[in-house]
Amino acid sequence: MRRALPAALVLLVLLALPIGAGSLYSDFYLSLAIRVFAFVILLLGFDLLAGYGGLISFGHAMFFGTGAYAAALTLKHLTPSVWAALAVAVVVSAALALVVGFLSIRAREIYFVFLTFAFAQFAYHAVNSWEWAGAANGLPGIPPPSLWIAGRLPVDLDRRAVFYYFALALAGAAFLVARRIVGSAFGRVLVGIRENEERARFLGYDVTRCLRRAFLISGVFAGVGGAVLASFHGFVAPTFYHWSVSGEVLLMALLGGMGTLVGPMAGAAFVIVLGDILSSWLAERWLLVMGLIYVACVLFSPTGFAGIARRLGALRDAAPAERAP
Amino acid sequence: MASPEVLLTNLLYGLTIASALVLISSGLSLIFGIVGVVNFAHGSFGMLGAYLGFSLVMATGSFWAALLLAPLIVTAGAIVMERLTLRPLYGLNPLYQLFLTFALSLVFSNLVLLVWGGDTVSIPTPSYLRGFVSIFGIAYPTFRLFVLVFSACLAAALWLFIGRSAWGAVLRAGLHNMEMVEAFGINTRALVTAVFAVGAGLAAVAGVVMGAMRSVNPEMDLDLITSALVVVVIGGLGSFRGAVIGSLILGTAESFGAQLLPGLAKFVVWIVMAAILLWRPEGLVKDA
Repeated sequence: MRRALPAALVLLVLLALPIGAGSLYSDFYLSLAIRVFAFVILLLGFDLLAGYGGLISFGHAMFFGTGAYAAALTLKHLTPSVWAALAVAVVVSAALALVVGFLSIRAREIYFVFLTFAFAQFAYHAVNSWEWAGAANGLPGIPPPSLWIAGRLPVDLDRRAVFYYFALALAGAAFLVARRIVGSAFGRVLVGIRENEERARFLGYDVTRCLRRAFLISGVFAGVGGAVLASFHGFVAPTFYHWSVSGEVLLMALLGGMGTLVGPMAGAAFVIVLGDILSSWLAERWLLVMGLIYVACVLFSPTGFAGIARRLGALRDAAPAERAP
Repeated sequence: MASPEVLLTNLLYGLTIASALVLISSGLSLIFGIVGVVNFAHGSFGMLGAYLGFSLVMATGSFWAALLLAPLIVTAGAIVMERLTLRPLYGLNPLYQLFLTFALSLVFSNLVLLVWGGDTVSIPTPSYLRGFVSIFGIAYPTFRLFVLVFSACLAAALWLFIGRSAWGAVLRAGLHNMEMVEAFGINTRALVTAVFAVGAGLAAVAGVVMGAMRSVNPEMDLDLITSALVVVVIGGLGSFRGAVIGSLILGTAESFGAQLLPGLAKFVVWIVMAAILLWRPEGLVKDA
């Protein structure tokens, strides 16, 4: 249980963060943290598919955006209940993931990457031209959501600290669900497919069905992430669908180390926080520096933070140089 | 229905786009063929070529000097980039190379923003290439005709080089089996660098001519890399012939798509790519 202590510390810090907000430090850090939580949910979904199933999607912005728009449209036109918004986001992104997964999973490796990229670009241009979705301007003025269920709990989420705890709880729940999936028989089969697809097939597993299911789950996670961010900002725009979001997801996952769940979560936090620091410090030059940091990361540690942590751990354990593989 | 003149104009324009696409996509395809790297920064070479070309025309006053020098500068830069950043990653999971080149494209696009600002510029062309020429009874812009002939000649030269020369034979062997080529005592590292450098230079040439034909803007890298990716995916990665076929399909689809379905012009690229990938997940051409 060596990991229990750091995990408890992180949780404690996260729970205590809103206490000092507004007095010790700016409220803005809560917004930044909420953005991190939304991306954490998206990254968990990406890692289930890419890190465990071995299918690299370059189109997760499409599910992120779809969840965001579904939540935004629900809040705007149907009900202020955040649960209804989340439910609609889940259903719509699941439906989209079902179709895209069905079509894409016939391809593998780099062709799968391009196919998901093509679908995502298609969705981006579609949203950009649909008038009912606000076209290029997006949808501003989404009313603040509330925890309202059938007349009970009429707590509005428009206060930043309240939304913060709500998003933290959702991200925590998403992590527990993802860990459960990874530990289940289905999760093991996914890893088996990633390691050797042919062998998994010979053992009698329906590989295509497993991967489609993983794609569906992954798309739903991404949709929930988008829904969280959209209901917090009260605004959606086609930038949710932009291909750079898909690229960012890949960067975060790789920086953190794929196939570890915790790694991509840390990657999301790192990229978002660093991006904020750099952009306030370097003005418009920050993306240049960010790009150079990415380049350095991949050159010096191709396995990401998880690899660095593992190496540090190996040093600390002072194990014999050659451990059993 | 459209008149024969309109059809012919569209066909010529489609061929013009296609010939420039061959220049930009062949490098992407060949480098994938020999080392399995999808170079996401390939479009940046085109954009850098275009902006350098613009500055060179401004400095020297000669379009031809720009067309010659800009690709040479980009080629030199690409050699440095390949040696320093890509070489350590060959043989690893292709994801790391995709990630690296994605990060590099981010660096290049911000570099362009810093040096040239976010403005859209256009590369001045020589006066005798402006205006129109008449071919088969239609008036076609002279510069577009120049792009068509010039790019087609370069592509043909490349095709002859790959198909007929001794170095081309080494390259073709490398597309099949790089280890075997190395076992024959050929310096494969130099081969990879050379292919990368030539590919980058051709992309820069395409950047200059396309920049002069349309415009030069900071989003050009994305336009170029998406077109090139679609082309190589349609044609099949790692094949020069595939890049040519893919370019012809995409070029004509773009020019006719803009004419026949103006509202759907942006979708045409993605519809064509998704349809072909679904029908043939490995591309149309499966050879070296």
